[in-house]
Amino acid sequence: MTKLPLDGLRVADFSWFGAGPIGAQTLATFGAEVIRIESEAKLDSLRVAGPFALNADGTPKSSYNVSGYFNNFNAGKLSMQLNLNLEKGQEIAYRLIEKSDIFLTNFTPRVIDKWNLRYEQLAAINPRLIAAYAPMQGLEGPHRDFLGFGAVLTPVTGISHLSGFPNRPPFGVGTNFPDYVINPGHTCVAILAALRYRNRTGKGQCVELPQIESVVNALGTAVADYLANGTIQMRSGNRNPIAAPHAALPCLDDSESLGSNDRWIAVACYDHSQWLSLCEALGAPALAGDPRFSAFDARKANEDDLESALVALTGVWKAEELMAALQARGVPAGVVQNAQDMLDRDPHMKVRGYYHYLDHPETGCAAYDGPSAVLSATPGRHRAPAPLLGEHTLDVCERIIGLDMDEIASLLAEGVLV
Amino acid sequence: MVEFTDDLGSYCGRLLADLGADVVKVEPPGGGRERHTPPFYRAAAPGPDTSLAFWVHNTSKKSVVLDLEMADGQAEARALALTADVVVEDNAVGYMSAHGLGYESLRAEKPALVYTSITGFGQTGPHASYCYSDIVGQAMAGVMTLAGEPADPPNIIYGQQANVSASIQAAQATLLAVLHADATGEGQLVDVSAQEAQSMNQETAMQQWDLQKLNRKRTGEKGALPLTLPGLGVYPTTDGYVMCFVIAPAGAGFPELVNWMREKGMAGDLDDEPYREICDNLNFGFFTQLARDPARAAAMIPHLGHINTLLIEFFASMSATEAYEAGQTRLLLQGIVSTPKDLAENAQLRARHWFKQLEFDYLNAIIEFPGPPYRLSETPVQIARPPRLGEHTSEVLAALAALSTGRTK
Repeated sequence: MTKLPLDGLRVADFSWFGAGPIGAQTLATFGAEVIRIESEAKLDSLRVAGPFALNADGTPKSSYNVSGYFNNFNAGKLSMQLNLNLEKGQEIAYRLIEKSDIFLTNFTPRVIDKWNLRYEQLAAINPRLIAAYAPMQGLEGPHRDFLGFGAVLTPVTGISHLSGFPNRPPFGVGTNFPDYVINPGHTCVAILAALRYRNRTGKGQCVELPQIESVVNALGTAVADYLANGTIQMRSGNRNPIAAPHAALPCLDDSESLGSNDRWIAVACYDHSQWLSLCEALGAPALAGDPRFSAFDARKANEDDLESALVALTGVWKAEELMAALQARGVPAGVVQNAQDMLDRDPHMKVRGYYHYLDHPETGCAAYDGPSAVLSATPGRHRAPAPLLGEHTLDVCERIIGLDMDEIASLLAEGVLV
Repeated sequence: MVEFTDDLGSYCGRLLADLGADVVKVEPPGGGRERHTPPFYRAAAPGPDTSLAFWVHNTSKKSVVLDLEMADGQAEARALALTADVVVEDNAVGYMSAHGLGYESLRAEKPALVYTSITGFGQTGPHASYCYSDIVGQAMAGVMTLAGEPADPPNIIYGQQANVSASIQAAQATLLAVLHADATGEGQLVDVSAQEAQSMNQETAMQQWDLQKLNRKRTGEKGALPLTLPGLGVYPTTDGYVMCFVIAPAGAGFPELVNWMREKGMAGDLDDEPYREICDNLNFGFFTQLARDPARAAAMIPHLGHINTLLIEFFASMSATEAYEAGQTRLLLQGIVSTPKDLAENAQLRARHWFKQLEFDYLNAIIEFPGPPYRLSETPVQIARPPRLGEHTSEVLAALAALSTGRTK
């Protein structure tokens, strides 16, 4: 087996929901042994949130182990049950952290305090530890105990105000967007940088990722624009200051696109030749010379008319065929794809083999997001599907923490390992 | 690190530069697209050195202008790239190798080189040569289809988020490859596809299709629910909006919201039946129960509109910041719909001194700037102002010449 960049490293993953577990999954994908700490006493809600695998009769399976939401963020990890509300649970946590290289959590500081997982406590038992904390607001400050997850973070960080059409209220973007790439990705970048520092100096450190700071940093120009210029940007739909058209345009409905028949194509013209090519592909060369649209500034000034004129032309096209026609002419264009496209219809995704299909004892064969980049010498891989709840409790206790069977039996009896 | 990036990959280099990498950005004469993207500092002076779009993705770097269309420029770029531990580029597939800067040819001279290519669709596959831009990325990755009102076209997410996701994933993968090179001396090609880099942003849509053969689609303001539930969604305030998830299974819940309304004298008749019983039980679990009891649901649902009307009046009586901070202090799950101004004034960000003062000597200005995504106790992030176009050309080329003279000797 290929040697992976993080082979031999152990991660104690005390995180939950999306933002933490996805980051730890990346570390597992590239070689680390990741032990996900869970408890039925404080169950990760994603284990009981859909979508669930189905029974043969089409009804959803009912178990802690059949959620696609949870499973896709936890492939290749070991699952250990540990009740951190008990003092003995906290002792076991320390014994695991003592033998780990990386610790990760995204609980609020209130819970971290309660469970005695503050950095100075962990550093005292393992000074080489890289301890990463990713609470919503950060570890200190007047809002440190504010509640939230991606659904609250999306409005709080400005994404909701800035996304969507200006005539609509700021209802958000349909998902808990920052949970899936921005926050877990930034967390991994910081952990890997800290790891490189440790490799060179032997020193561990505390990594803090206040989710609000992580997201606002990645928000583009809006906050910088206010700070520098006093401008309060407003959401502007699908438009872009340096491209016109820059829009999603309707195409023919597609009955094979199940449950989502309407089809759209995203188009962007950044320069004049792209604009000419768009008109040519749509069979409307006269449009290119229309004085309302013939130059960039004119298209910007008449953007409503521009979009109406294009809507009248794109509606007769099959989205994939229009994309191919535009791409052949050098125009940035892409079908507004859905998950069915991503998994089953997009020929490019298929050839690249991005999704990994893994056999899971309760869901059966299921798709997982693969490594987020292709590393030629050290391609990542999921060594296993997501673990069943507590599947590896005994293994971790015995092999890693070094407990004997009598100790494990008494911990089980005392309700520590649940 | 040497980078050949424009708007797609520039944030990758920023993340690494702020963490201490010596990042040299090679730019074409006149600068790339990002340098010419508004908004500009004090709109009166648009130009390559005043674009905020460039600034937010290019802090702490050096800038060298080289014309890769000319033989000299190519030779200098190649020599420069060979001094680097890491090369990051975001050009169309084939451009770098056509200009003497491809991975294979650099690797032949420097096997330890980590070479990260960020493109719309990756280096291989039938769409590898497709033209990419951020909206195309958000569309093709299954993200855009989830955002917006069903009656509208699908929405993009603000802030070039396809580019940002690709850049973040690239930074992560580059660091993985650097760790491997540190340990083994073996470099590699890191192939980042913006389409793949965003796949995780589909949330549950991928799994829903895989497990249930159902496509998730955009549901807009109402969300996936068939009716409006009080305490869930966007409420206008005197100066903006607050987003409520009060009936979600976290926090103090709806009865605490009614307590707050009562204290402000705005609970109306919510303490009377039938409203009292509904308010005492208003959470997702209650609605799940109602779904199994159609008779009770039929009796309850007509009263939800009245409760929501009182809630609308309640939030309309206060500022968005008050709704957010006072609500959260009561452990109600809700968030301000922040405008950029709200973020600049956010009490948490201010108390933690998150914003940075960057000195722009060439503008005679100290400009406040968003801070870093993370805080590292031993190796804190340091943000220096982004470079002017070509600011370091002579310095870097002189160092390169000295190096090559040294080698010749």
